[in-house]
Amino acid sequence: MRTSVIVTVLGPDRHGLLAAIAAAIAEQNANVDDVSQTVSNGMFTMIMFVSFDEAEATLQDLQRALAQVSDRMGLQIHVQHENIFKFMHRI
Amino acid sequence: MVFITAEEILETVRMIQGENLDVRAITLGIALNDCAARHVDEVCHRIYEKIVRRAEQLVPVALSLQRKYGVPIVNRRVAVTPIADVVASDDPADFVQVAHALDAAAEAVGVDFVGGFSCLVQKGFSRGDAALVNAIPEAVATTAAVCSSVNVASTRAGINMDAVSRMADVLLDTAARTADRDSIGCAKIVVFCNVPEDNPFMAGALHGSGEPEVSVNVAISGPGVVRNVVRANPQASFTELADLIKRTAFKITRVGELVAREASLQLGAEMGIIDLSLAPTPKVGDSIAEILESMGLERAGAPGSTAALALLNDAVKKGGVMATSSTGGLSGAFIPVSEDAAMARAAAEGALCIEKLEAMTAVCSLGLDMIVVPGHISRAALAGTIADVMAIGMVNQKTTGARLIPAVGKREGDWVRLGGLFGEAPVMRVSGAGNEAFLARGGRIPAPLQSLRN
Repeated sequence: MRTSVIVTVLGPDRHGLLAAIAAAIAEQNANVDDVSQTVSNGMFTMIMFVSFDEAEATLQDLQRALAQVSDRMGLQIHVQHENIFKFMHRI
Repeated sequence: MVFITAEEILETVRMIQGENLDVRAITLGIALNDCAARHVDEVCHRIYEKIVRRAEQLVPVALSLQRKYGVPIVNRRVAVTPIADVVASDDPADFVQVAHALDAAAEAVGVDFVGGFSCLVQKGFSRGDAALVNAIPEAVATTAAVCSSVNVASTRAGINMDAVSRMADVLLDTAARTADRDSIGCAKIVVFCNVPEDNPFMAGALHGSGEPEVSVNVAISGPGVVRNVVRANPQASFTELADLIKRTAFKITRVGELVAREASLQLGAEMGIIDLSLAPTPKVGDSIAEILESMGLERAGAPGSTAALALLNDAVKKGGVMATSSTGGLSGAFIPVSEDAAMARAAAEGALCIEKLEAMTAVCSLGLDMIVVPGHISRAALAGTIADVMAIGMVNQKTTGARLIPAVGKREGDWVRLGGLFGEAPVMRVSGAGNEAFLARGGRIPAPLQSLRN
């Protein structure tokens, strides 16, 4: 079964952020389906739509891998199942 | 396919990370009627076994949902059938033994509290009810997780004033037994009018007789989110403010709905209710009083506080009922004093008094909640204060509760630190005017007329 999550990233802009995050996601056998990012006043904001097959990856492993990137690069990275976003704003 | 905008995604993250949005509690209601047995040892064995069997996955499921959705699920609790309906005994020692079985089961499954050491006596005491009430002080003082509630009044039955006086005795006894911990035992006892059967909040949760075998009830929260919306709109009229709060309450409630649906599926339980209550914690930014302050009041308790709370409470409910078809429980903004740092500060500064809190509880939930009163308070003064709260619930056809803490050795103005989510608060003044002759009348205040409602 395929699971879709949303990765949000906030923090000071610097070289290599997108590459580091995308690499960590790829290492977990997950796929980036869509991405949008902005940089405003030096603050980096990124939203990634990521999906993975539950036979090949787990949410917990993805969260752990991105937590390591977060610690290394001084970012706030949140990985949440997409249903929280769908459910909160719509019936 | 549901389309999600970037703004909505970032708003969700901000509400959780920056504004303390959480699910306050998942409470698993468990019917214990089938645990009745001739001997109390067997009752205890059956209760322990059933709670452990039905609730063993509660904490793992809650932690897994927390990880999946990134929303903190602060408390995991169990509510059970009122124990007076399960134990056929008139010996308080038997009920204390059952309390210890509940406590052991709570520890085994890792829940914070277990509620339901309870009885309903609005029209009178059975022998079992009387024994349970007699057992409350020892049961609460010698267990960690057991919470007790007694319903002494209802709109249909009136107020059992003998039960009110008896509960004053129970509180004073419990306060004395837990005097070394600022009488914290009383924080686990609620006196109710119109007790709900599906309330997920402690200390008053129980699993009523109209409930299914096992159900999941979810308590939402999010005072910080509402406060930020109010604070960000200082020019909004009251109508506009109500609209903004409704929109926010909708979003908060949807999170509770999602968690309740999934938790009930994973636990093999019926989905019970979503309690549309704004519940504060002692953490700064997670406060009902701060919402009132953001509306333009210098402190909670300032003139206009009751009106502000009425607006808030109504808007939260209107937004919430759009978000779920399973409303229930207490469903109203809570105004505890010790559990809300800004409420406690307002009380310490003299802006907020017990009489104002009584007025405020007429338009919201839950009553005089987590209020510390002087340890030397008389039985009659304590009973009279409880009776006043019951009268508000009875006449207004709503749930009210009294959770009063007569802190042994503490006087008006002293500060009492209860710890954790119980918070801290100043000892509040209770009128010293005598009421002994009033209480001595005994009997029942009749149920109120339901027409001619001015």
